[in-house]
Parts: sequence; structure tokens; C-alpha cells
Amino acid sequence: MMQENEGASLVLRQIGVKSNSLLAPFHTLTEIRKNRFLVRNLVRREVRARYRNAALGYAWTVLEPALLASVYWFLFIMLSGNPDKMYAVWVLIGVIVWGCFSKSLNAATNSLTGNVRTMHLVYFPRSIFPVSGVGSNMVVTMMSCLVIIPIIYIYDLPITFHLLLVPLGVFMAGFMALGFGMMMAPLNCIQRDVQHLIRFITRAGFFVSPVMWTAEMAMERGAWGEAALWNPMVLPITMVRHGLEGKFVELPPAVILSSIISALVIYLVGTIVFSKYERGAVKYL
Amino acid sequence: MTETSIQLEGITLHFPKQRNIFAIVADFFKKKERKFTALSGIDLEIKQGEVVGIIGRNGSGKSTLLRVISGIYPADEGEVHAAGDISLLAGLGTGFSAHQTGRENALLYGSILGHGEEEMLTKLDEIIDFSELGTFIDEPLRTYSAGMKARLGLAVASAIRPNILLIDEVLGVGDPNFKEKSKKKILSMVKGASTVVIVSHSFGLMTDICDRVILLHHGEVMHDGPPQESIKKYYEIAGE
Repeated sequence: MMQENEGASLVLRQIGVKSNSLLAPFHTLTEIRKNRFLVRNLVRREVRARYRNAALGYAWTVLEPALLASVYWFLFIMLSGNPDKMYAVWVLIGVIVWGCFSKSLNAATNSLTGNVRTMHLVYFPRSIFPVSGVGSNMVVTMMSCLVIIPIIYIYDLPITFHLLLVPLGVFMAGFMALGFGMMMAPLNCIQRDVQHLIRFITRAGFFVSPVMWTAEMAMERGAWGEAALWNPMVLPITMVRHGLEGKFVELPPAVILSSIISALVIYLVGTIVFSKYERGAVKYL
Repeated sequence: MTETSIQLEGITLHFPKQRNIFAIVADFFKKKERKFTALSGIDLEIKQGEVVGIIGRNGSGKSTLLRVISGIYPADEGEVHAAGDISLLAGLGTGFSAHQTGRENALLYGSILGHGEEEMLTKLDEIIDFSELGTFIDEPLRTYSAGMKARLGLAVASAIRPNILLIDEVLGVGDPNFKEKSKKKILSMVKGASTVVIVSHSFGLMTDICDRVILLHHGEVMHDGPPQESIKKYYEIAGE
């Protein structure tokens, strides 16, 4: 039989060898880089599906937070007479950044169970599923962040390089969701209770995290308020708020450091757990 | 050409049976496992250039075996070795998105099958041509008929030239005209690939193209030989 690559002798290699799980944090990155075309296409598929058949399409990513902002403004500033003119904006940013985290976390947790068909028919690194789930939510959130342009104009905020903290904060929220979600995804294959539990956690976390309150408000409340700052989600949300205000993150350095460390630890543990159990868990699907 | 292309040594694969987490924990402490054995102790060697068919009744482990070869399921015991790149052709159009155009879906499906961006862009014209979709290629996929989707799927999938081609029941899609064309295309893929493993129920085709047919029964190799012989064995066990 004719063979095109006659000269290149093909070497037998073992299929389905497990790479060292402890190296998973690095392998995940190289897998994303190698499969970037696939990740981009999967993210586009998710984003497209979300805004299908809508006349305004992607405009909704900005329109939704803008409408929400006007409701908050009416509620907090007009009705309850909050003296802080910016409070409605801070709540809006809290909702956007927290939304990125919670949607990404749910997407990553369900990423294996929701792609059973694909997984049964083709093989590619399974970490691509949670990564593209989180990626699509990050893209949508980044687009939502365009709402800060009219906000800057209305509140006459300074345009400084601190605005770079806005995408950075969104990225950090998504990054933490990725690690946490990768921990949960294999477990969710075995028992779907996990996804219900995660949905509950993201709803409860809404109140524990500075969505309806700010780090400044917490710091005025003494010991309990300061304890609340140790929540790793305080940093990404506050980062976006302070970046918008045109200043660097004004949180105790210990809080900043511990948030960054917890984000990294969550990623390390998440990727290791995922690579260790993903193979076995797929058999439950 | 007698070099080994695919080698399976004592492949055993279990599926967990107990799905309740409390039971899993209880079993863990009792040190027992409830499982279903899908493949048990499969030894198989396929040489380069061979076209091998796999037959067996429903649930005999045919698709599972292809999935083990392509790396979807890791074997619990034994080792799989293969030479060159492997492509599994199953369920044409995996991951298609109804809200994107045919063109976008071709790129999406191509990337799911493991192709890079440049490769897909160079093959795109050929793919569109083969799919016979005409101007529909820039319409969203939800406007397609089932046959049109299948055509697009086959067009993308057949643009690959892997060393090892695994085919799982993808023959016979679309209208008679296209069915003929798709059969020809798959046969040309079979000729182009150096090694082919094919799972199918169309025994006529198997007799025509396979050098050898393997009969699986309850996850074990029951017979391995010339097509006619294995098919005869199949009817013996199917009638039991």
C-alpha cells in the first residue's frame, strides 16, 4: 500500500500515559498555548450562543450593566439618599466582577459534565473545557466593562494608567474561578450534587464578598469588618473600583499579598486535582 | 511493510457501576469495588497498512476499544502503543453550534478534531467545495437540514490525512447521491491512511475492504481472522 511519509519511520509511542500531576500547573498553560485556536473557537461558540437572535446582540453586554446602574442609582441615591454619590457605581462594579467569578465558577464546574458528547468522540486535553468555559465569561465581562466609559464621563473621573487595574481585576476573578472550578469538575462527574452546592456557594458568597459593600465600609466597622477583608475576592473587586477612581489598590499590604497567594494556591491545587482525577471521573459520564 | 502500527497488550477497562457517593465511600472502606468490565485482556497487533474491521453485538465493547486506542479512556490494565497520529471519526459534526455559520462551524469542528489555524484556512475552500453547500455556507447552521449538517461534518472530517484512522459507524449519511459520494470519500481516506480500524454493521463493506475482521464478544476477542470467517462466527453467536 502506498504511503506518503515513507522515509519518516513511525515510532511506537504509548497512548494514554499519565503525566506527572504535580507538573499540571505548567502543563495546563502549555496545553492552552498549543490549543489556542481551539480555545478561541470554543469561547466564540459560547459567546455567540449567549447573544443569539438578539437584535442588539453584543450591545447587551454593555446595556445590561448600564441599565442596572441606573436602577442602583435610583434606588441608593434617590430613594435611600446615600450621601456617597459613587455608591451606585461601586455596587455595579461589584455585581460585574462577582458575576464574572460566579459564572466562571459554575461554567468550570459543569465543563466536563456538559461536554460529554464531545469527550466521547474526540480526545484533546480535558483542561481545555474549564479553560474555555471561564474564558468565555471573562470575554463577556471585559465587554461589560466598557460601561465604565460613560461612567468616567458622567462622574468626571480621571483617565490614568490605573484603569489597567480594571481588566486585571476581572482576570483575577476569572483566574480564581478557574482553579476552584477545576477542583470541582471531576467531582461533579461522580455526583451532580457538587454543581448545586457550588451554585449555592456563589449565591451566598455574593453577600460575604464586597459586592453591596466596599472595603472602605468594612474597614470602618472594626474587627469584624477587617476579618471580612481576608476574603480573596476583596482584592479583585476593590482593584477595579480603585483603578476606576484613578488610584492604586488601597488595602492593607498583608490583605493584598494573601489574596494573590490564595489565588495562586487555588490554581495550583485546582490543576493538580483536575489532572489527577479527570481520567477516572470521565468514566462516570 | 510489517511494522507495527497499533499494539494492545492485555487491555482491561472497567466502568464504575455504583454512582452514589455514599455507596462509593462505603465501598472504599469495605475495600470492594463494584464495576462493569467493558474490555478484558485484549491483545491485538495491527500492522501498518492493514485495514481491520471490528464487529460484535451491541455492547460488546467495539466503540470502547476505539476510544481506548484514541486515548479517550485510559486502560485500567495493559498498555496501548501506536505509531503516528491517530484520528477517530465518529459522530460527524461534534460540537457544531447552531448559531454560527457553516464556515465558522467548519473551523470550529476542525479545531475540535485537532487542526491548527493555518491548516484549516488552507483546507477551507476544499471543504466548502466538497460539502456542496453553495451559498448556505454563510448561513447559520440552524437553517440547515440534517443531511446538510452531515455533509459539512464529513467534509471537515475527511480533510484529515492521519497515519491511523479509526472509523466508528459514520457511513451512510445524506441523500443517495451524497451517500455514494461520502462512501467514495471514506474509501479514499481508507486508502490514504496507512492503518485503518473500522467499526461497522455493514458486513458487505467489511468483506470488501478489510484484510481481517475481529469479533468482539463481552469485551473479549472471540475470533480474529479473514472477514468471511469472523462474520460467520458472528452469526453463530448472534443466533444463540
